[in-house]
Amino acid sequence: MSILKDVLAELLAMFAADARLSAGILASVLAAVLLIDLTDLPPLAGGALLLAGCILVLVLSVRREARRRAPKS
Amino acid sequence: MLEWSTAAPAVSAAFLASIVEVVEAFTIVLVVATLRGWKPALLGTAAALGALAAVVVTLGPLLDRVPLTVLQLVIGVLLLLFGIGWLRKASLRAAGVIPLHDENAIFARESEHLGAEVRRQKTSQDWIAGIAAFKAVLLEGLEVIFIVIAVGAGRGLLWPASLGALAACMLVLAIGAFAHRPLARVPENTLKFGVGVMLSAFGVFWTGEGLGVEWPGHDLALIGLAAIFLAAGLAAARMVQLPKSEAMP
Repeated sequence: MSILKDVLAELLAMFAADARLSAGILASVLAAVLLIDLTDLPPLAGGALLLAGCILVLVLSVRREARRRAPKS
Repeated sequence: MLEWSTAAPAVSAAFLASIVEVVEAFTIVLVVATLRGWKPALLGTAAALGALAAVVVTLGPLLDRVPLTVLQLVIGVLLLLFGIGWLRKASLRAAGVIPLHDENAIFARESEHLGAEVRRQKTSQDWIAGIAAFKAVLLEGLEVIFIVIAVGAGRGLLWPASLGALAACMLVLAIGAFAHRPLARVPENTLKFGVGVMLSAFGVFWTGEGLGVEWPGHDLALIGLAAIFLAAGLAAARMVQLPKSEAMP
């Protein structure tokens, strides 16, 4: 049971180690889906939005984690 | 006929990611072999490889039944979650915010942990050691399988990607058998940075294709996406870079 629990925990950690990062990525995907499905813009605009969203989520996540770990002065 | 522009990124991503995972598994197997001998280490490894083969044989044929666009979308989103997670961690390590992965330290820590576990439990010591090797190979192997499927399934490149992963296994095992100690000199964070960049690029590419996006340059767009993620990861690391005196080792 311990092995199964460890495997499941590892699988979860693979895709959702940081909840805010995962939520941000999923929100970027959702925004791209909505842009492609609900507007007349070409699908490539959705792809560009997805890329920009993922980059923004990455940079904000790195900055947030660095601030969290910064020594309190 | 394989297109190099698609096959090369898939094979190299599978190869580099597998090196990282196999080095991590090898460290634990070496701990087991050092403390309890090669028999439990090899038995645990063989059992894990058998379990991984069962996973591939069971799930592999199901991939053919999933419509391609659904497969690209699902795998693309999973790749984004996985790849950007790697890239984030690699950026934080490059900036000195979190410590680098140290195989020697992991070897020492796992040796102590396994030694304590063996002393505490009444079960056969070889059994506990074998289970430790089994878990390490199984967990790292599952990540390798995911990466191979993720970079290979969207374009029918499962075999080339698998060969990339297999080549990585053989390389690490050959060097490990020669060195007979943890492979601490592998530039793991650089590899993780590179793999994070490639997996994130594949993630955006597959997710976009799954949503009907036609990328300019088709498969060559992967290279452009990778360049953008590389620049973003380096910029993020630079933004939070700690001075040398404060950086984690």
